[in-house]
Amino acid sequence: MLKYILRRILIFIPTLFVISLIAFVISINAPGDPVENLFAGAKGGDGSSASNAGITKAKDELRHELGLDLPVFYFTLTSLSEPDTLHLIKDKSQKENLERLIREYGNWEFIQEYYRAVSALRNEALIRTEADSNLLKKISSDSLLIIEDNFAQKCISLLRTHDATEIKSKIDVLQSECGRFSYLGANNFLQRFNSLLSNCENTFVAVESNSSQWKTWIPALRFYGYNQYHRWLFGDGNWLTGNGSEHCRGVLRGDFGVSYATRKPVTETIGRALPWSMSLTAMSVLLAYLISIPIGVQAAAKRGSFFDRSSSVVLFMLYSLPSFFMGTLLLMTFANPDVLSILPANGVGPATGIPEDATLWEKFNITWPYLVLPLICYTYSSLAFLSRTMRVAMLEISSQDFMRTAQAKGLSTYLIYYKHGLRNALLPIITVFANIFPLAVGGSVILEYLFGIPGMGPEILTAVQTKDYPMIVAVFTLSGFMTLIGYLVADILYAIADPRISYSKS
Amino acid sequence: MSTQEKEIQTVQQPEFSFRKYSWKQFKRNKPALVSLYVLSVFAMIALLAPYIANERPLYAKYKGQTFYPAFTGETNYRFQDPQSGDSINLQLDITDWKRLEYESVFWAPVPWSPTTKDKANRRWVGPGDPQRFITNEGDTLHMPSRFRHRLGTNESGEDVLAGLIHGTRISLSIGFISMGIASIIGLFLGAVAGYFGDNRLQLARGRYYMIILSLPFAWFYAFHVRAYNLTDAMGDSGFSFLIALLISIAVFAFVIVIFGTIGRLISKGSFLGKQIFVPLDTMISRGIEILNSIPVMILIISLAAMVKEYSIIYVMVIIGLTSWTGIARFTRAEFLKIRSMDYISAARVMGFPEKRIIFRHALINGMAPSLVSIAFGIAAAILIESGLSFIGVGLPQDVITWGKLLNQGRENFHAWWLIVFPGLAIFLVVTVYNLIGEGLRDALDPKLKR
Repeated sequence: MLKYILRRILIFIPTLFVISLIAFVISINAPGDPVENLFAGAKGGDGSSASNAGITKAKDELRHELGLDLPVFYFTLTSLSEPDTLHLIKDKSQKENLERLIREYGNWEFIQEYYRAVSALRNEALIRTEADSNLLKKISSDSLLIIEDNFAQKCISLLRTHDATEIKSKIDVLQSECGRFSYLGANNFLQRFNSLLSNCENTFVAVESNSSQWKTWIPALRFYGYNQYHRWLFGDGNWLTGNGSEHCRGVLRGDFGVSYATRKPVTETIGRALPWSMSLTAMSVLLAYLISIPIGVQAAAKRGSFFDRSSSVVLFMLYSLPSFFMGTLLLMTFANPDVLSILPANGVGPATGIPEDATLWEKFNITWPYLVLPLICYTYSSLAFLSRTMRVAMLEISSQDFMRTAQAKGLSTYLIYYKHGLRNALLPIITVFANIFPLAVGGSVILEYLFGIPGMGPEILTAVQTKDYPMIVAVFTLSGFMTLIGYLVADILYAIADPRISYSKS
Repeated sequence: MSTQEKEIQTVQQPEFSFRKYSWKQFKRNKPALVSLYVLSVFAMIALLAPYIANERPLYAKYKGQTFYPAFTGETNYRFQDPQSGDSINLQLDITDWKRLEYESVFWAPVPWSPTTKDKANRRWVGPGDPQRFITNEGDTLHMPSRFRHRLGTNESGEDVLAGLIHGTRISLSIGFISMGIASIIGLFLGAVAGYFGDNRLQLARGRYYMIILSLPFAWFYAFHVRAYNLTDAMGDSGFSFLIALLISIAVFAFVIVIFGTIGRLISKGSFLGKQIFVPLDTMISRGIEILNSIPVMILIISLAAMVKEYSIIYVMVIIGLTSWTGIARFTRAEFLKIRSMDYISAARVMGFPEKRIIFRHALINGMAPSLVSIAFGIAAAILIESGLSFIGVGLPQDVITWGKLLNQGRENFHAWWLIVFPGLAIFLVVTVYNLIGEGLRDALDPKLKR
């Protein structure tokens, strides 16, 4: 048995690896740049050069802190035309644009030159390096700012353009803009800008004329030792000892990273939300089993009786009743001033909070009205399913010889069904039990949303809405882990319920 | 001669067809049969939704002109007023149809579209409440009974019944299409896994390794090279994404076929030419196990968050791609039984290709148990969709679904009609599918055959 458990646990590892990888792939391929999202609230304008430089620096620091400046995985499958340094480009939209250019022309050497030229152009437009006396005489510094701003915007849009005709027309527009200011006479800014602009044009012509598109059709494998996934698993310190880690210690040391949305450790958030989901699930499971087993047994024992038929119908209806409909109906009935207002509608405690010095009993007394409706909703659907499963299993068992023998011996109905039958009919019920484990982590997103329970459900929902991927990956991995635990527990329970099941030889 | 024929006829057993027998069994199950009828009513409603609930009249005679506004694809009508000679322009999407003075008119049974905002009956007007109608002159009247909101309105004055009728379309099509996708994947993988098991599919070693080698290449050409075609299509519309995805899948298959052909050519000699077993069953079963370990609801929510713009097609594809495991498991179990049956052995002895045996001979017989799973799967898919729209994930803003209506009812418990009717609709459809599933299970279960 022990050997079997150990072997099962060993099989866990690759499965968990694959699950975490799937979650990771989802988060990497998600649209939008998390750093940009985080800064979206802050002023994102490129207007003033000083604040812009500050923001860029802060973004870079954050990117480093979150490990987003690293390659994604141990290896990537790319084409021959793509360099292995593309992940170093910070801005996600610029990176995407470069990738599109590479896919179009396949000559990274030339594209790189072009990219450098455009970046230099943008920097020139962004950073006012020296006050140009000649220029300042003729126009006020305010309007200079506007000119520069205008140029900067156009340069940035150039960095995000991959279509050849569009690029050319944008360069043309910039050139004619420069021409418009020729009345200002020769000045450093315009001169430099003009020369950089022609540099852009030349490098782009070079890109076009030296196209090596065939390279994009040849796959290439590139390896990276230190990457985002590695960092996620082992942290950014020494991978074995964890020494020297600055920002994250890695999942294997229980650190799921920092949330993109709140900038707080994910582990903390989960630690706060998980107890609610877990305790509600545990309570509802307990209730469901306590109620469903007698119902199932009773229905099977008196097959075809009124109780059997009516309970079947009711349970079937409950089984098909969507839990969020049931929940809304319950709220409408019991937490509605128009009908009955005897139970609270939302949350798990009064808005004022539970007094600190309350005893456990008082705390329970304050909390339980909040939990009644959620518990009913959590319980009834699994209750219906379990009772139906129980009834079918018991029906199959009750036609077997040992049950008839028990009847023939004159045992009481209770003894026949609960002592002789139940244990044999338990197997399908155990299978259901295994499925409950992941629920404890994921919670019921819909029900927790409906009842305002501060469990995992609302956390997952906000994580999805704010594209908070460290949180989503953590939930995925945890619930995958719990599913596997559930399978293992079920296997052990099978062996306990039915000693004929043995795992010692395969 | 004739006596011989007679003899044959008398010897012949009454023909036994499992299909006929199952249908007879199914018909005996009254709830399932009734469910089938109810489902066809729902299907009719879904098909005819735009003509059952539409703010535009089906037929209208206005100022001497005859129109069929509910059926037309035009955006506006231009014509001359026969009396005054003025040119009149009726723009179909903004015309307030109920205030025109028709010579004769024939309205749709529910004269409201699901997204028409009836300004006179905003803020939750119930089915029994007095409803108002504002005339051209600005007078407020009682709602003419033909135009009443039979099931009330929501906060912005949209008709609930019209929303329910159009929601039927979404719920049924999501159930159908997502389970269609899931069945194709599930039946194929289940059949292949069950039929070949771990020890029936033999390949020359060279070909086997070439096919394994082809996978990264196939991925590269199908998804890496085409990555931006896919993203652009995704930004475009759900439908063009579907097309782009299908092209990618075709490329994927094509690359594998090419590598397989090369593999066949190089499979010579004692090492590369040696026949080895492909552990197909193990591979597919492990895949199912992994997919089962992922919480489906969370997977769907996060995948839904990945797409740039919400679209019904994504929801269908996502549900379809995540819910095939049950079907695959049933089909696999059935094929494990079927593969050792006499008729399969006979077909193999006759030298039929495996493809033909699996898909022409075995699949028809092995599909029955998965039908049950598909019926339950449709119910589950509809539940998932309404759950998703209940929490506001996955579906675009302008689409009215049952789950969304139900969620609107949460804002105001006084508006019981927004909770009860959509909820009942979901409940009814789910029950109907579950009953059909049960009926199928009973009808197809060989244990019950007596």
